[in-house]
Amino acid sequence: MASRGGGRGRGRGQLTFNMEAVGIGKGDALPPPTLQPSPLFPPLEFRPVPLTSGEEGEYVLALKQELRGAMRQLPYFIRPAVPKRDVERYSDKYQMSGPIDNAIDWNPDWRRLPRELKIRVRKLQKERTTILIPKRPPKNTEDKEETIQKLETLEKKEEEVTSEEDEEKEEEEEKEEEEEEEYDEEEHEEETDYIMSYFDNGEDFGGDSDDNLDEAIY
Amino acid sequence: MTQAEIKLCSLLLQEHFGEIVEKIGVHLIRTGSQPLRVIAHDTGTSLDQVKKALCVLIQHNLVIYQVHKRGVVEYEAQCSRVLRMLRYPRYIYTAKTLYSDTGELIVEELLLNGKMTMSAVVKKVADRLTETMEDGKTMDYAEVSNTFVRLADTHFVQRCPWVPATENSDPGPLPPAPILVISEKDMYLVPKLSLIGKGKRRRSSDEDAAGEPKAKRPKHNTDNKEPIPDDGIYWQANLDRFHQHFRDQAIVSAVANRMDQTSSEIVRTMLRMSEITTPSTAPFTQPLSSNEIFRSLPVGYNISKQVLDQYLTLLADDPLEFVGKSGDSGGGMYVINLHKALGSLATATLESVVQERFGSRCARIFRLVLQKKHLEQKQVEDFAMIPAKEAKDMLYKMLSGNFISLQEIPKTPDHAPSRTFYLYTVNILSAARMLLHRCYKSIANLIERRQFETKENKRLLEKSQRVEAIIASMQATGAEDAQLQEIEEMITVPERQQLETLKRNVNKLDASEIQVDETIFLLESYIESTMKRQ
Repeated sequence: MASRGGGRGRGRGQLTFNMEAVGIGKGDALPPPTLQPSPLFPPLEFRPVPLTSGEEGEYVLALKQELRGAMRQLPYFIRPAVPKRDVERYSDKYQMSGPIDNAIDWNPDWRRLPRELKIRVRKLQKERTTILIPKRPPKNTEDKEETIQKLETLEKKEEEVTSEEDEEKEEEEEKEEEEEEEYDEEEHEEETDYIMSYFDNGEDFGGDSDDNLDEAIY
Repeated sequence: MTQAEIKLCSLLLQEHFGEIVEKIGVHLIRTGSQPLRVIAHDTGTSLDQVKKALCVLIQHNLVIYQVHKRGVVEYEAQCSRVLRMLRYPRYIYTAKTLYSDTGELIVEELLLNGKMTMSAVVKKVADRLTETMEDGKTMDYAEVSNTFVRLADTHFVQRCPWVPATENSDPGPLPPAPILVISEKDMYLVPKLSLIGKGKRRRSSDEDAAGEPKAKRPKHNTDNKEPIPDDGIYWQANLDRFHQHFRDQAIVSAVANRMDQTSSEIVRTMLRMSEITTPSTAPFTQPLSSNEIFRSLPVGYNISKQVLDQYLTLLADDPLEFVGKSGDSGGGMYVINLHKALGSLATATLESVVQERFGSRCARIFRLVLQKKHLEQKQVEDFAMIPAKEAKDMLYKMLSGNFISLQEIPKTPDHAPSRTFYLYTVNILSAARMLLHRCYKSIANLIERRQFETKENKRLLEKSQRVEAIIASMQATGAEDAQLQEIEEMITVPERQQLETLKRNVNKLDASEIQVDETIFLLESYIESTMKRQ
């Protein structure tokens, strides 16, 4: 206790080690204390060496830029969903803005992935009841019985949330559903019975009518 | 994972796979192994988005999954694998130099898609090659298959772990996730496929395709039901083998720089002979006798046996110790010290960085301390022949940059500072780690700057793309030169200059990234090799 004040009063500025050992001689001016963090872009003393150039370098550079562009176009590049506009427009129904119902654009090998990663294709299951039968006339009777069975079970399950308990129940149907997955993707493209290309956005309206001025325009 | 690595991973994932995959990937890298629902809850994304992102990440070998007890599947990200994405162009270029365009495209397809079956790769590559060939010529599947087999034989591509075939037909309740196995001997086994066909050209006015589209749709399903002969056998690029190749290249060019072309050829021959016999992580290659080396020298390299022996002795006596003599039988047994070679390369990198950052006098001090291992303040001044004040200043600059460290040697048990020796030393491993961390930060900065530059000029870039599209379509329909001129003038001269500057800057930033990645490779190889030996 007595030495506490003593350390401050006497021998102020005494260090515990010999300064000359680290190279600071007596009477040398020390650099000023730093009161702020080092600058974000400290000035460079020496300019950096220029980059290596050459045929190989340029080829690899071109490759890099190409790869970047290519990867953006692949189905692995997942874009966030387009936010819904304020008013629901009629043409939205006929514009395909992305994979419907969050399905994946590409086909991974589901045998190699955990089962829980498979996204259930749900929305169309309601409509499958109406579309499936008229669209697949050449299907043989066995498949028809399967589908009717499936449709009955699906009707019961329309409201359920995906969970692991369900997967155990649906085990038997899963194998058949896996075959049906491919049908789904085709139907994803059209929620309606009409062929996509026949739909006219109405943008060309008024352009065609200028040709035939003989007939009266109503 | 350090902050710098995580930031770099985040930028890479975002650039190549989009924001959703980036969010999930970075979360997994930060927190380690997690099950599906926890990921969805912690990141605040919907379950479907998480599933999509995980499928993409697993497909590209960036995330692995494990089944724990009670059927919970946990996903773990591999940060180092994400960082490899920087090196993709280099892998593809290497494949091009070794196996020409076919090999290049095979490796590119495998890297872009993560994993693929052999038949899918062959078909896609043949189609792509056919596109670039002249009209009327097509690429045969057989040729592409041959290149693929060669790539597999030299271990540049390898099979992915596969689902074991279950013997019993009734497995009972399916496991929540398949357990994949891999066996060493089957890893490079190419399945016996008889792929017959030619690449198809994608043409809009193709006569073959004209009558088919309507008829194709009902047949579409039957095509898919055809059994693919190598179903379930997926291939991926073997990055370790590429790394081995890069390491060999670095050693050979180092020898060429230090000595001459002939000695580098000898070293290259020795490395080639040990490719198969030595595992890539061994500290030195298997001993090779001088006679064997003489027989395996490339044809057309006619140096006499005596000259070869002289070169080998020279190489073995070199202070860099790339080549060592391990015995005298068979005309002299020689090994290549891989670990020492990597150490020399890492040290050379450090020296070069010190020189460029602090000046050549600092570099002299650095090399001095490296050579003498431990030096006192006074001794540094004496040996380097630099006045005390400047030497002190330089030493402290390097000390604060963590290139040099202080070693305390106490004279008395109480470690009193006045009675302790303070020695300057260079700890190569820790300096290499520090430099590696700095490299990661540099690349992250470069990528950010490039993205910033592109965003700044987004409007201009879009405009120029539109103009190019208009010109292309007009040229296709046959427009006059005057019209084309008019459209080209839509972009004014100062705008054109701005575009030029932007292009130059982006190219410079990209080239810098590639160069920093080379340094990263050297440092990582050295650190890995050192850690394996401990």
